[in-house]
Amino acid sequence: MQVWGSVTLIDKRLFDLPGMRRYVMILGVLVFIQAVAIIVQARYLSIAIVNLWHLQPISSIVVPTCIFAVAFLCRHLLTVWQNRVLFPFVEKTSGDMRESLMAKIFRLGPAEIDKRGTGNIVTMALEGIDQVQTYLMLVIIKMLDMSITPWLILIYILFIRWEQAIFLFIIFPVIILFMVILGLAAQSKADRQYEGYQHLSNHFVDTLRGLSTLKQLGLSKRYANNVYSVSESYRKETMSTLRIALTSTFALDFFTTLSIAVVAVFLGFDLMDGKVMLLPALTILVLAPEYFLPIRNFANDYHATLNGKNAMTAVLDVLNQPEMKQREELPDFKWDQDSKLELDHVNYTYPEVKRPALNDISVTIKGMKKIGIIGASGSGKSTLINLIGGFLSPDKANQVAINGQRLPHLDQAAWQQNFLYIPQNPYLFHATLADNISFYVNDATDQSIKDAAERAGLTRWIKSLPDGLETMIGEGARTVSGGQAQRIALARAFLDTDRKVLLFDEPTAHLDIETEAALKKDILPVFNDHLVFFATHRLHWIGEMDYVLVMDHGRLVEQGTPDELAAKNGDYVKLRSEMEASDL
Amino acid sequence: MKRLKETFANDTWVMPYLRKYKGLLILVLFLGFMTFFSGGALMFNSGYLISEAARQPSSIIYIYVPVVLARAFGIARPSFRYVERLTSHNWVLKIVSDFRKKLYESVEKKASAIQRSHQTGDILSILADDIEHIENLYLRTVFPMVIGWLLYLFIVIGVGSLNWVVGLLMLLLLGVIVIILPLASVATNGVREYQQHQIQHQFYTNLTDEVLGLGDWLISGRYHDFINLQKKPIKEIAQLRRKDHYYQWWRSFLVQFMVLLTTITLLVWAANSFTATKSLANWVAAFALAIFPAVSPFLNISQGASEWPVYRRSIERVNQLDKDNVTPTKQVALKASFKQLDIDNVTFKYPDGDRDIVKNISMTIHPGEKVALLGPSGTGKSTFLKLLVGDLIPNTGKIEINGQSVAALQNVRSSLYGILDQQPYLFDTTVMNNVRLGNVNATDEEIKQAIAAVGLKDLIESLPDQYDTEVQEAGKRFSGGERQRLSLARILLQDAPIIILDEPTVSLDPITEKKLLDRVFALLQDKTIIWVTHHLAGINHVDQVRFMENGRFDMQGSPQELYKQEPRFRQLYDLDRGR
Repeated sequence: MQVWGSVTLIDKRLFDLPGMRRYVMILGVLVFIQAVAIIVQARYLSIAIVNLWHLQPISSIVVPTCIFAVAFLCRHLLTVWQNRVLFPFVEKTSGDMRESLMAKIFRLGPAEIDKRGTGNIVTMALEGIDQVQTYLMLVIIKMLDMSITPWLILIYILFIRWEQAIFLFIIFPVIILFMVILGLAAQSKADRQYEGYQHLSNHFVDTLRGLSTLKQLGLSKRYANNVYSVSESYRKETMSTLRIALTSTFALDFFTTLSIAVVAVFLGFDLMDGKVMLLPALTILVLAPEYFLPIRNFANDYHATLNGKNAMTAVLDVLNQPEMKQREELPDFKWDQDSKLELDHVNYTYPEVKRPALNDISVTIKGMKKIGIIGASGSGKSTLINLIGGFLSPDKANQVAINGQRLPHLDQAAWQQNFLYIPQNPYLFHATLADNISFYVNDATDQSIKDAAERAGLTRWIKSLPDGLETMIGEGARTVSGGQAQRIALARAFLDTDRKVLLFDEPTAHLDIETEAALKKDILPVFNDHLVFFATHRLHWIGEMDYVLVMDHGRLVEQGTPDELAAKNGDYVKLRSEMEASDL
Repeated sequence: MKRLKETFANDTWVMPYLRKYKGLLILVLFLGFMTFFSGGALMFNSGYLISEAARQPSSIIYIYVPVVLARAFGIARPSFRYVERLTSHNWVLKIVSDFRKKLYESVEKKASAIQRSHQTGDILSILADDIEHIENLYLRTVFPMVIGWLLYLFIVIGVGSLNWVVGLLMLLLLGVIVIILPLASVATNGVREYQQHQIQHQFYTNLTDEVLGLGDWLISGRYHDFINLQKKPIKEIAQLRRKDHYYQWWRSFLVQFMVLLTTITLLVWAANSFTATKSLANWVAAFALAIFPAVSPFLNISQGASEWPVYRRSIERVNQLDKDNVTPTKQVALKASFKQLDIDNVTFKYPDGDRDIVKNISMTIHPGEKVALLGPSGTGKSTFLKLLVGDLIPNTGKIEINGQSVAALQNVRSSLYGILDQQPYLFDTTVMNNVRLGNVNATDEEIKQAIAAVGLKDLIESLPDQYDTEVQEAGKRFSGGERQRLSLARILLQDAPIIILDEPTVSLDPITEKKLLDRVFALLQDKTIIWVTHHLAGINHVDQVRFMENGRFDMQGSPQELYKQEPRFRQLYDLDRGR
């Protein structure tokens, strides 16, 4: 598996990294010098030993021992040197990668990141890049070591005694061949078992997550034994795979160790026959383990290398992910009474799904209006809001237009400067309450923040907080209820008077009715003098709207003022009657 | 050292298992020792072999034994290593099984049947990771270290028995590698680890914060702020990594330097003691060649040791789990069938809280009654439910079923309460198995009936695998409404007299919500139902509505009465139906 891996362990993109070739050259030279040091070290150690073997006095080994010591130190200093030469490059590459990843996250936007999972992206930026760093440190030097050192040693042995050199030369491909064969066999078996594996190892987390449910059903105590027995069967499965997976390591170990033994035995016979002297024989014996060392090192670090390679592939995949382009098509503008937004037969299809989530949507909005979007769940309300916000791009270009200018999509910097997006759970940053409110406004004064909070109905709550507006909220700090979170989002809208468009995506869906009623009073004033899109399935909001879009299975089935729609007795009326509760 | 003692002072996670699987542990250590012993012996023997052969003895008999031994050690080393790897993995996985069970039991004791979010899931994942850390503690730190020490003792005693001065030198020189440097690594890393943990944690939380709030960043157009926010921790992380690497490289160099000194010591010793006769001189090469393979296990001891702080945190965290266990109440069975649920003047405050969450609440519920409980978040509804089922014990007041305290009925709880909450969990197995959890003795036929009753028969039977369909991770094969209905089927099988509905419809749209509620109340019409809800849809199903405000009940009555008499209720109801 290891050596087979070594072929695949090199991501071709590795050599495209800036400056890579130059570093490979420099390191190649250093590895070469190191290989020479290894040979010198072996040679002079052997000389010292042979002198003692000849029963010579201690003075005879002073010089060889000193040369041995110097070569030995050189060799290990060179290791440090190689690392130090390479490290700035690796550090810069991985640092740049981390920063590009951050920039990429920003440019990909929330929809794409959501798809990959927040946890995945964050882990990638931290641990993933660390693994890339380890990978770069390992793979470059180890590859050079493997492609220079053994061959230099082999050439040297060839000059001392060609028979041994031939033996060592032949055994090398044999080792690799066996490792590949055994590795491949193990790999295919491991692949087959992998699925079962995942299942078993996820079982534990699955059980922990469902603990509440188990407790409700009175099964939680009994399940402890189940946890144990599943884990035990996991162990048995793992062991049966390991038994095979470790065979390729065994093959490497077996052939290298046995080769050394064989070399020793043959040298012994040759020495007896007087075909060779002790010094060359001893030198070969000392060098034999060094000949195999690079490949063994490579195999030992196989897993770290493999993880690093996978991490790098994952990072590069994200970095090469296509992003929305043409974000600057629209010139700067301010949404006002005369502004116009058009959707012209827009379709949107989620990747890997056949049926479009939005189907042939045409609507024209002008000036400041309050537009309700209603429909059953899955009808496309949120998708429409996301498309208007530019988080999703229509299937075809030039189907959307602002002020008559046709655009590829609405992910336009100039458009995004004009709206605020308020979802079901507005995100609260780990920051002070004041910073959260003024997130969109750079130069907000304390007074204006206070006023905005007042208008959003936050004042009473703020007074109850230990540090008032300076209280830390968000993840890991004071928890904020859903109603307060909506009010904070509302305060953002009150504070930022430049943004005239408000996108609401079911802002009250999860709130209790009392909180919603109180919140409604405070939301309504912000609707004035704004263009409002309000997706909801709480029907009482419709009474506040100027215009209603009725969605059904991705289609815009009806649009008009609430009164027009009520008179029509079509989808709108049907939807209302389905949702509405009866009289008490 | 003090920290080490503290870590293991009340340890129930590491030491007990070392004792439990003592036999296998000794085997692992023996095999590990033999691996390196064979490696050293191979070179030792080979050195002797060629030295002897170079004397060109008259007969092959003289080198016969070393020739056989060379092959034997050559085969022994990889074989020992192979078996050692298998045994150590097997040992560790055995322990993991025990760990999982133990972790599960610890968490189970504290888990509540009433839950409001999946956040606990993250904590549990951390704990699951901790177990893996302890796994690595054995494989990467404990085993290599102990094996290294065994070999160290062997070398020191072996050489010392030939010459005690050289033995002493070995003790010192190799001691630097196997004792001093690992200790130094732990000390250096202990300091750095703390710092590193802080910075990484900061980076991690900042980045999560940024990514979760990405929409706001994007719309605000604050690209540069977004990028700059992470520059500092990125730089600090880079610096730490650099320090870490430099430290490791120079430490490895120092280890090699000690190896060099050891080698020279042995050469000098050989020069002084083995040059008297030819046969003695044959041993020089043996000792000199054996040194490199013999010290190879020492090279990574320091690295293993420097990982200790990570493991320590994990060990401390899992040990923390066993602390503050509550003394169990004596459990009894319920006499007769459910007649009355009394909540008598109950007050509750969390141990670390600053105010009463539930204040002097009293109510009595009889079989068949349907009660709805409303109120803004944070008014104590879920605390009330936890008290009701016995996951929490009231500070004052009583909660009794048929006059027996709920706290004493925990063993029979599932025969008293059925619970349907916001996110009922479906386990990653088949539909059949999931529903069967309601009553493990139910027949397939009964399960199918329950599924039919909740209206999923047609859907399930239209699937290719029908009742054997896998629900996938957390039940994602099915929609929110379908998951709720499968859970409802579970509750039907469970057949408990009191059903607690804990906002089961909060994430459903109004049409699905209405359908689900109609079904729930139709199927459970003989049961007692306590329903916590966030709005008034379906309120006509209940006999009694209670509003909760700051731990107390305020408005209460039948929905019809309240609608007639209470303007506030009327206003809310009308709002909820879209007027």
